[in-house]
Amino acid sequence: MPDERSPADIIAESAGPKAAVATDRSPSAEPDELSPRLANARDMIVTEHVDKWFGDFQALDDVTLNIKEEEIVVILGPSGSGKSTYIRCLNRLEEHDAGRIVIDGIELNEDVRAMQAIRSEVGMVFQQFNLFPHLSVLSNITLGPQKVRHVPKLEAEALAMQLLERVGIPEQADKFPAQLSGGQQQRVAIARALAMQPKIMLFDEPTSALDPEMIKEVLDVMQELAESGMTMIVVTHEMGFAREVADRLVFFDEGALVEQGTPEHFFTNPREERTKLFLSQIL
Amino acid sequence: MSELPPIPRPEQQPLPPAGGPRRIVLPPHRERARRPRSVRAREWVRRNLFPSWRGTLLTALAAGVLGLIAAGVIAFVFFGANWEVITHNRWLLFAGGFPREEAWRLWVSIAVVFGLIGLAYGTWSSLGRRDHLFVLLVGGFVIFLMAHGGAEIWSSVYFLIAVGCMYLGYLLTYQLPRATSSLRTLQVRVVGGLLILALPIVLLLLLVGGDVGIRSLDGFVLNLVLAPVGIVGGILIGIPLAVGRASSLKSISWTCTAYIEIVRGAPLLGWLFVALFILDDIIGGDLIIRAMVVMAVFTGAYMAEYIRGALQALPRGQYEAGQAVGLNQWQRTRLIIMPQALRISIPPMVGQAISIWKDTTLVTVILPLRELKGNADSAISQFEFTPDRIEAYVFVAVIFWIVAFMMSRISQRVERAQGVGER
Repeated sequence: MPDERSPADIIAESAGPKAAVATDRSPSAEPDELSPRLANARDMIVTEHVDKWFGDFQALDDVTLNIKEEEIVVILGPSGSGKSTYIRCLNRLEEHDAGRIVIDGIELNEDVRAMQAIRSEVGMVFQQFNLFPHLSVLSNITLGPQKVRHVPKLEAEALAMQLLERVGIPEQADKFPAQLSGGQQQRVAIARALAMQPKIMLFDEPTSALDPEMIKEVLDVMQELAESGMTMIVVTHEMGFAREVADRLVFFDEGALVEQGTPEHFFTNPREERTKLFLSQIL
Repeated sequence: MSELPPIPRPEQQPLPPAGGPRRIVLPPHRERARRPRSVRAREWVRRNLFPSWRGTLLTALAAGVLGLIAAGVIAFVFFGANWEVITHNRWLLFAGGFPREEAWRLWVSIAVVFGLIGLAYGTWSSLGRRDHLFVLLVGGFVIFLMAHGGAEIWSSVYFLIAVGCMYLGYLLTYQLPRATSSLRTLQVRVVGGLLILALPIVLLLLLVGGDVGIRSLDGFVLNLVLAPVGIVGGILIGIPLAVGRASSLKSISWTCTAYIEIVRGAPLLGWLFVALFILDDIIGGDLIIRAMVVMAVFTGAYMAEYIRGALQALPRGQYEAGQAVGLNQWQRTRLIIMPQALRISIPPMVGQAISIWKDTTLVTVILPLRELKGNADSAISQFEFTPDRIEAYVFVAVIFWIVAFMMSRISQRVERAQGVGER
């Protein structure tokens, strides 16, 4: 596309005449233009010019993206585009090589204590669930609160039962992960992350390893969570979820943030050729 | 060959009509007719023993060979052999120089260990018909040995009491309900704790107070103490070594690698000579203690490698999930990684345990005429028993086999019980 405007300009334009005044040429959009309900929210996640290399391969290329408190961001992109790497950098499962990441006012750097503080504020749900197979469902959920937050056992268990109610499977508390279906396991994984009472939840393709009939039960839980005011970043290919729940969609390709905007913008009027191509392939 | 009755099959259900709600309709459950037992038995024999003329030929050959061996063994055991070399030297083989007036320590130790085995079986597994048969055979063998005249008739009573302890422990734990999780957790913790305490308790019983000490260990009792000390010590050394070798800190990783490669590079026999000649100047102490140290150090290198293999087999997601929950490195290792890694490495570790059990006989090289095989040597060095060396060694072999077989059975049970919640 012979267009030299940055995605920010594109989004600003697409968001309406008022936004067109924005002259910031950084790829980060102004989220308040995108979703009025977040107009006065503070920045929960700040990422500026983040690079990440795996050997010779550049996984993230100058990614700048700020996310507001209570915002729901869905990240799209082909495989290998860096979207998982990006959210893994946010709780330092990967270390970024350049740029700045600030989570809720704490900068991610070599400081191990900062890292621990952030990990207990950021919950993560994995594609492969990654439940602890040797622990019961209940112990999977209570482990973090008991060991990291030093919550007394009974209190942690009461909280875990509440969370299991919330994700709809309190009757599975005493079972082991291998005895549950994929959808149930993923819901336990969500409950485990929530047990740390995080301010931010990261979802790394949470439904990609599920059988089709189980996807909905997990998405329902995520939607309920989104409505409860959690800040969420979701890497997914579930376009229905993206359209209904997200405040903002972000499209990654080859490690770079290519385009971002409201779901409406993405599904009616994407500007970048690569975005159009990608959407035409998966819709 | 007669025509076999047809195998009953459930009738094919017609597919539900298209367009309607897609529900999977299963055929109603019904009692399926079974073929009579005699037919099934005949079928089993035909399939597994005489499937074709070649198979029949091989079966006949195998039966012939096995028959010859069995005939030879029976002829030797019941007619040819002179078992007096064993019955006359029971105490020498069993405990050698262990003071007789302190024999109660041995029996109490055996009862404690048997009781714990019972508790563990009741907690994690169940005794099957084969287990009872094994106990019966071994019990009969031991009692025959003990009661064969002489003053040690009481020993068989003590042994029976120990077996009783095992069944008592089994009944105690097996009766407990397995469904309620809090009670179950408590039971697992108590029995697990007792198992961990077993070795220190037995060592305390055997070595402390009265007229006994490390030098009293002799005969089969010495093997029975050396092996667990080597195995438990080996695991305790192996865990940090495995973690250390996997460490990203090169100084630690290289040190652990060096330990493992050097120790594994020489045979146990070589290290026992090190204990005999070199460790004398460095740590001194009784030769038995030095032998124990060497066995633990040697076993540790192998255990470390099995645990490291298990660490590498664990999916990366387990480490990451632990990180994401906020656990620090020590907590991740202790609570998530090690429990799973140890479970995966049970089979090779039991293999190593059985191996070190048999290798306790090597101690005879640095401690002549002390452990079971050494005491068998001294039994046949007695003038009247010199022709009976085969009997003595057969006996020693059988004893080692019994214990090794027990270890292998118990490990199978542990694996199966631990399978709960496996991926």
